[in-house]
Order: sequence, then structure tokens, then C-alpha cells
Amino acid sequence: MTKKILIIDDDKIFSKILRDGLVAGGNGKYEVVSAFDGDEGIEIAAREKPDLIMLDMVMPKVTGIEFLKKLRKEDWGKDTPVIVETQLSDLEKMSEGMELGVRGYIIKSDYSLDTILRQVDDILK
Amino acid sequence: MIPPEILFVVLIFAALYIAVVFFSYLGLRRMKRDVLEQGRDAKRHIYEIAILKEIGDRTGYSLNIQKILDIIVGSLNQFLEYSAVSYMLLGPAKIMFKADLDESVSPQFIKDIRTRMLGALSALSGRNLSGTEVEETITGAIMQGAATGLAQSYFNIPLVIGEQLVGVLTVSNTKPGLYKESEMEILYKIVNQASQAVTKLEEVVKTEQGKIAAMLESMLEGVVMTDTDYRVIAVNPAAKLVIGHKEKNAPTIFDFMDAFKGALDVRGKLEEAIKLDKILTIPEVFFGNKYYQVVVSPVKSNVGLTKGGILGGVIIFHDITHEKEAEKMRNDFTSMMVHELRSPLGNIKKIGEMMRSSKILEDKKVSSEYVSMLYESSSSMLDLVNDLLDVAKLEAGKFAVEKNPIDIKEILTERVKFFDATARDAEINLKLFVGDDVPDNISVDPKRITQVMNNLLSNSLSYTPKMGTVTVVCFIHKNGLAIGEEARGASIPWVLDNMSPFTTVIPNSVVIAVTDTGEGISTENIEKLFNKFTQFASSVRQSEHKGTGLGLVIAKGIVEAHGGVIGVGSKQGLGSTFYFTIPL
Repeated sequence: MTKKILIIDDDKIFSKILRDGLVAGGNGKYEVVSAFDGDEGIEIAAREKPDLIMLDMVMPKVTGIEFLKKLRKEDWGKDTPVIVETQLSDLEKMSEGMELGVRGYIIKSDYSLDTILRQVDDILK
Repeated sequence: MIPPEILFVVLIFAALYIAVVFFSYLGLRRMKRDVLEQGRDAKRHIYEIAILKEIGDRTGYSLNIQKILDIIVGSLNQFLEYSAVSYMLLGPAKIMFKADLDESVSPQFIKDIRTRMLGALSALSGRNLSGTEVEETITGAIMQGAATGLAQSYFNIPLVIGEQLVGVLTVSNTKPGLYKESEMEILYKIVNQASQAVTKLEEVVKTEQGKIAAMLESMLEGVVMTDTDYRVIAVNPAAKLVIGHKEKNAPTIFDFMDAFKGALDVRGKLEEAIKLDKILTIPEVFFGNKYYQVVVSPVKSNVGLTKGGILGGVIIFHDITHEKEAEKMRNDFTSMMVHELRSPLGNIKKIGEMMRSSKILEDKKVSSEYVSMLYESSSSMLDLVNDLLDVAKLEAGKFAVEKNPIDIKEILTERVKFFDATARDAEINLKLFVGDDVPDNISVDPKRITQVMNNLLSNSLSYTPKMGTVTVVCFIHKNGLAIGEEARGASIPWVLDNMSPFTTVIPNSVVIAVTDTGEGISTENIEKLFNKFTQFASSVRQSEHKGTGLGLVIAKGIVEAHGGVIGVGSKQGLGSTFYFTIPL
């Protein structure tokens, strides 16, 4: 059975690479949908009920933290695993994320696609 | 026998002799008395001076009028005879009455002089003081049924300091007929000398206090001074502002302790500074939404006997909020810059990873998509690096432009053509108007002006909604006229709001402007537009439009390198006009 992953990131190039990487690396295990800001993320998450959310923390309008708070208020979203994408310089945001039940984090420009894939596999197995 | 004629002559001579001797004796006696009197006067004079000097020495630089009066009263018996010497001082709430008795008097005597002095004080001050509380101190013996009667001789001297009546000094005696005005000269002198000294000293102290008070008042730093018992003895308005103390009365140390609870142990720091005789600096205290650098120091006396002794402590609050904000802005700038550079670089790396390992790139279409992404990522990085270099050059003052006479209409036409596709995609109407009188040989750096236009046009297009309009205009400005009015006069679309009122002083120039019907900019953000740090932070964080925000900073540098000015008029909900001038 395929698992559904939602990527919420305003960086369209990163989002595309991540999506292709997850689809190709997952050998058909994963179906990936993308949202490009927090508002769209909430909308798609409500509709698609993903098994995992990859969430960018630095986004215009609705930030990652704001998205998480909204997500955790919903019945369908309060237990959805979330992996947070950050940059090294944003690590202080992590503690805030941890309080909101974040399962893991990736450092966007440093982690290889393989590392990210392993983390996703771990959470979704 | 002596003949009667001779006897007569002899008698006459004898009488003359007696008369001469008698008058000589009288004269001598008078001379002797005069000499003695002169000697007494001289002695008395020297004595008076000695007394005045002694009193002067003993009162010293005292400002305490009561202490001075006590000294005068104590020295008075050296040259005046009295039953009682007494003084009354007008206090803020009560009257101080002190009497020094030289002989035992009846209670009636005391009551009498007390009533008479109060009467004199009332008359002198023009106030009815009969109801005021009087605090009485008597030294000497009061005897019930003492043989003495009431005061028969009585003399008042008003005490005046700095043209203000402070009390009255009185000598009184049970014997009648004493204290004639002429005899009281010495007392006048003493009292005068004392009051003059105090008046002068008070003036000096007031002037000095005034200087210090004025300095304290005008200081931007909050200053609080306490004595060694931590009682506040001086506090300036800035310090009151720090703790938000609005009442008229001076705040106490408890007000400061309460206000800083949890942020700074005010009392503890003072104690440490005073007890250890040490200056303490607390580099950063966050309080009431502001950052303060707090210095707590002991205050030492540097004059007189107490020199070197600790008089109390002082706390100085230095508001460093602005410095902290600037520091934060710099940090934000750096971290955002790192973010902006790292994102495309990270993407390039991952694209490489995909190309190396994944089979999806065997598909021709996907592979060309990845090549585009590679190009886009490296371009955005290169743009950012170029912008940073430009800003660095601007800041170093090494920003050079290569000016050549050129037809500016060509640049504008070319730019509008370049952005036409973007405008059409966004369903925005892009227009260009150039005045007929714009010459075709204006000296500019075409590459740099193109860069400015790229920035202004891409900004306008990205902030303008569908069906909006972006208009590029170019016309001649005449010195003395306001640019906005000139544009309006020529029916050119222009947003006048929040524009600089000083465009009239700009010399004859070519004006190039881009007006949009976009969301507009708030007044406070207009100020941030051309600032490297603030513009960057707001552009990345608060809008969905990507970019470094350095574009306008660089545009300003380019325009200024041409000798022109750059400005903006904007109203939220209406749109914005960005304009720049090139002098003719």
C-alpha cells in the first residue's frame, strides 16, 4: 500500500527535487503531493490526509510553526508525523517544533537525498 | 609794711595762678578721660572684631541657621548684660522658640517674652502666628515665685536670610532702661554678618545645585542617587521614565526595586557597590521592552573632612535599545543572506545527486527540467553575489559609473519590451510615455540605468494585481517646480502621497518614473525601502515576493552616482510611484 507524503515548501526547486527523490527512491511506496505555502498546506492536508508531512519552517504568510499549531488542532492532524526542514541557522526554531510533536528534522542544504529518504522510511515503515 | 598797691597786685597774680592751675587741672582731667575713653573704645572695637571673627569661625560654612544662632547666643554674655537671650525661628509647620537664661526668672517672665516675640514675628511677617504650634527649649533656671518681675528692658532683632524673614532674636532684662538703639550696634553687626554669610552661601549652593540639577534633568541617561541608607536623594526625569513613575513626588528605592523585580536586584547592587566600594556594570538588563546598560557606583565625597568617604550610591540607566536593534538587524541580515545563498547552493548539490544516482533523469523531458532548475538556481545565486558586490562597492565609496551621451528613450523602450512578456503573463497593462522635449544625448551609464529600470519594473510588476497598470514615464523637470505637480500637470499617472516635499530644489533634470496600481507601501515601510538591513528583512519575511531587497539600495547608489535623486510616492491600496532624476 502506498503512503502519502505532503511537502510544504515555498522553494519550488527544492520541493521538486525532494518529490522526485522520494518517488524514485521509494520505488513506488510513496505518493507525493506538494503545497507552496502554509495556507495551501492546510487545505491540501485536510483533503489528502497525508501519512507524513515534510514542512519548511521559513515561509512567507503562514510560517511552519503557525502551520503546525493549526494542524495539531485538527482531529485528523493531531498525530500526523511531521519532518521539519530547516537551515542550520534556524536550529533554535527546532525546540518550538519539538513541543508540537515534530518527529524529525532535516537540514535542507546539508542532508543528502539518501539521508532524507532513510528518515522517511524509518517513520513510515 | 607792704604798701596796699603791691598787695593788690600780688593778690591778683595769686588769683590768676590759682585759676590757671585749676583750669589746667580740669583740662588735664578731661584729656585723661578722653584718652581713657578712646582706649576703651579701641579695646571694645578690637573685642567686637574678635567676637565677630570667633562667631564667624565657629559658624564656619554652616547653612544651619539654628546652629549659627546657638553660637551667637552662647557668645553674647561676653559683652551684653541680659536676663534672657532668646530666638524664634519660623519653621514650615511650627515655630522654634529657644531661650537662654542668665539669671533665674519667673515663669511669667518667659511667658511674657514669648508672647511679645510671637507678636513681633507676626507683625514682621504680616501673618497671624498666634495659633501656630511653638516648640520651646529653655536653658537656665525658672523659679516659681522668683523675685524678678517681667522684662523691663527688651530688644528685638529680625533675622533675615536672602531677603526673607526667618525669625527674631531678642535680649531682655528685668532691669529697666537698658538696650538703647545705639548700644545694640554690635548685636546688629553680629546678626547681619551671620545672615549675610548664610545668604551668600545659600546663593552659591543654590547656583551649584541648579547647575547639577540642570545637568541631571537634561541627561538622557536615567540617574538615581541614594544615601548610604538607600534613601533616594536625587532622581532625574529620565530615571522616572525608566520605571514609568508618573506621580509628582520623587520615587523611592522601593519603586525602583519593584519595577525591576526579576530583572535586576537594584537594592542588592547598590549595597554591593557601597559596601565593597566598587563600580558595577551590568551590560544588559531587559526591562519594560527596552534594553539598558546599568552602572551602579559608590558616590564619594571629594571635599572637606569627609573627603574620600562614601556618601551613598548612584545608579545610571543607559538605554541601549537602539544599539541592540541595530545589532539584531545586522545579525538578521547575515543569517538571511546565508539562507538566501545556501538555498540555491543546496539545490544545485541535490540536483547533482539526482543526476548521479537516479534513473528518472534518463527521461529527456525530466532531464531538461533539471537543467533549467540548475540554471535558475545558479542564476539566482549569481544575482545575489552581484548585488552583494555592488552594495560592498557602494559602502566603500568605490561605485563607479561609465557615462556616455545616449538616447535614454532607447533604454526605456527596450526595457518595456523586455518586461512585456512578464506583464502579459500577469495580465498587467504596461505602458510607456516619453515627453517630446526629452533630449537624446543624456549622459548616463546605460548598463547601470538598465539595472535600475530592471529593479523598478520587476518590483512594480510583482506587486501589481491582475488587470492593473504599470506606467513608465520620462519628462523634463524644471528647477523650482515640484516633480509630482509637473507630472499631474502633464496628465501623467503619479502617486503624490508621502512624497518628499523637497523636489523643487532639484536642478533641471530628466525624470524617469514607474507608477503602478499595486498594493502600495505603508508610511513606515517607505522609510525602510532604501536601507540595506531593514529592506532585506521586510522583503524576505513579509511578502511572497522573492528577492534580496538589495535592488533598491543599489538603485539608489546608481542614481546618486549620476548626481540624481531617487524617491517614492505611495498610498496603500492605490499604488506607488518610484522616480529618479538625472541632471541635464
